[in-house]
Amino acid sequence: MASILVTGATTRLGRSLIERFLSDDAVSHVVAVSHEPDSEALQFPQSDRFSYHCVDLGKTRQVHDMLFGPARDHKVEVVVHLGHQEDPYIRGRRVHMASVEAVRSILSLSDRHPTIRRVILRSYAEVYRVRMDLPVLVTEDHPLNLSSTAPQYVRDRVEADLTACARMGLVKASIVVLRCAEALESNTGSQLYDFLNGRISPRPAGFDPMINVASVDDLATAIERATQGSEQGVFNIPGYDTLPLSEVIRKWGAKSFPLPSALLRPMFRLQHLTTGSTFEYDLNQHRMHFGLVLDGTRAQNVLGYTPSNAIQWPHQ
Amino acid sequence: MAFSPVFARFLAAALGDEHVTERAKNLDVSDAGHGFDRFGLHPDFIALSDAITSPLYEKYFRVTSNGSEHIPASGPAILAANHSGVLPVDGMMLYADVLRNTHPPRVVRPVADYFVSTLPLVSTLFARCGVVGGSRGNARALLGDGELLMIFPEGTPGISKHFSRRYQLQTWRQGHAELAIRHQAPVIPVAVIGAEEQMPSLGKIPLPKGGLPFIPIPAVPIPMPVQYHIYYGEPLRFDEEYTPDDADIPERVEEAAARVADAVAALIERGLQSRKGVF
Repeated sequence: MASILVTGATTRLGRSLIERFLSDDAVSHVVAVSHEPDSEALQFPQSDRFSYHCVDLGKTRQVHDMLFGPARDHKVEVVVHLGHQEDPYIRGRRVHMASVEAVRSILSLSDRHPTIRRVILRSYAEVYRVRMDLPVLVTEDHPLNLSSTAPQYVRDRVEADLTACARMGLVKASIVVLRCAEALESNTGSQLYDFLNGRISPRPAGFDPMINVASVDDLATAIERATQGSEQGVFNIPGYDTLPLSEVIRKWGAKSFPLPSALLRPMFRLQHLTTGSTFEYDLNQHRMHFGLVLDGTRAQNVLGYTPSNAIQWPHQ
Repeated sequence: MAFSPVFARFLAAALGDEHVTERAKNLDVSDAGHGFDRFGLHPDFIALSDAITSPLYEKYFRVTSNGSEHIPASGPAILAANHSGVLPVDGMMLYADVLRNTHPPRVVRPVADYFVSTLPLVSTLFARCGVVGGSRGNARALLGDGELLMIFPEGTPGISKHFSRRYQLQTWRQGHAELAIRHQAPVIPVAVIGAEEQMPSLGKIPLPKGGLPFIPIPAVPIPMPVQYHIYYGEPLRFDEEYTPDDADIPERVEEAAARVADAVAALIERGLQSRKGVF
């Protein structure tokens, strides 16, 4: 395999992937990209096969110059795009540019790029609509959350996902969209992680939906497999652990108590204001009532991916 | 705590007899890694529901079971039954009957109306016992896993039918037939006799869409101790006459659903002729 470019390189998943790629002799070079300016402070591995570039993905010119600069110089063949805004409380045009327009730019530019042949987009289970009349077990053809009342965090993710889907077969590069289960680890943008690590974790009384969570190792495995194949398409990437929300809370050792649904929004708002928690109830309201479990059959059949790494639960 | 499997296990042991314990030991349910299946079913809650329904099944409704040998021991299949009684006691008794009359005990997966998943406590307890929301995707996934589904094709219009329409099948939906054809799964017609008199419905007050569809107006506040008789018919094996592609042909699906409805109606007729009294 030739060189690989990884955006969102400073995230937990980005770092894990970079380590994997560098340990694979078949990968000739890893180009890591994030918006952090101080590369030394980031403590990336020292290797001749590694280079780091600070790029603001919200700026089309910088994306262009990165792809036709370092990426072309290193003959990058595969782009793994992990860069997304992870804090739902940060909103606005710049966030939209970085989350959605960056995907559009990468795909458009890859069409006339001399070496890029494959683009992997890390998408999210949050793009799926959760509603009482929809299946709990979600396949790739499940309705997406296109609600105009959905928070920008969700709308941007759906738009980025659909932008990639719409270009499949229309650009030179093969495109893979991986709709990943939530990784229950820090620095992964996990809302559930924020929920569990709040001072209190109130949940809807009388509801105990099924949740599927993934380890960073499993997500990295799925992305690594996607870089090696030639198939394109959309794939659900579930995690190893499927369990009710109450069990997630118990195994995590979090303090939680059931509350009537009507009180949850103000409670979480108050928690955000007082503790800075990034958990946003509007993003998770339906999921905390009806649940969502990704069906990974397609990823298993096509990519050969099966989740195998369980979460290391603090309280078994 | 209220939904903890430990609590369910404790209650099941406290309330159940040796038969409940024996059935619980022999249960074969899929485990997605933490004791629950992907839809939330947990064996300890099946044991608890078995323990709770036992006195109702044996003493209160004194259920008689006929033809349970027609229930396949394994593989995907659909039980299609008449629905009535204001409260879904017919579903509970059928669930308990399948558990008792299959060896090893088979957990039937009742397919409930959408609104059930919006009900606090009920939605969770039902899910732990194997109930799933009535979306095609859920049913498809369960049949793909080789599960036994319980479907009431009359839906809520059946359970809320006026007492004067007892034992008359309401509009017979076709989803079960489509699923059976597509998955080549046998349909076992089922007649539940007794439920239609347990709680005579005098009418209903419709509610706005989104949650509970109506408020029933029953003649009695709780189900009366009618005697239940459950009849299982011979499996309708659509795989012999239909290909999976026929599931996309509306006339073929309609024809298959009508055959199921006719089989259920014939079993109801047989059950009504055989019974000696309502109580």
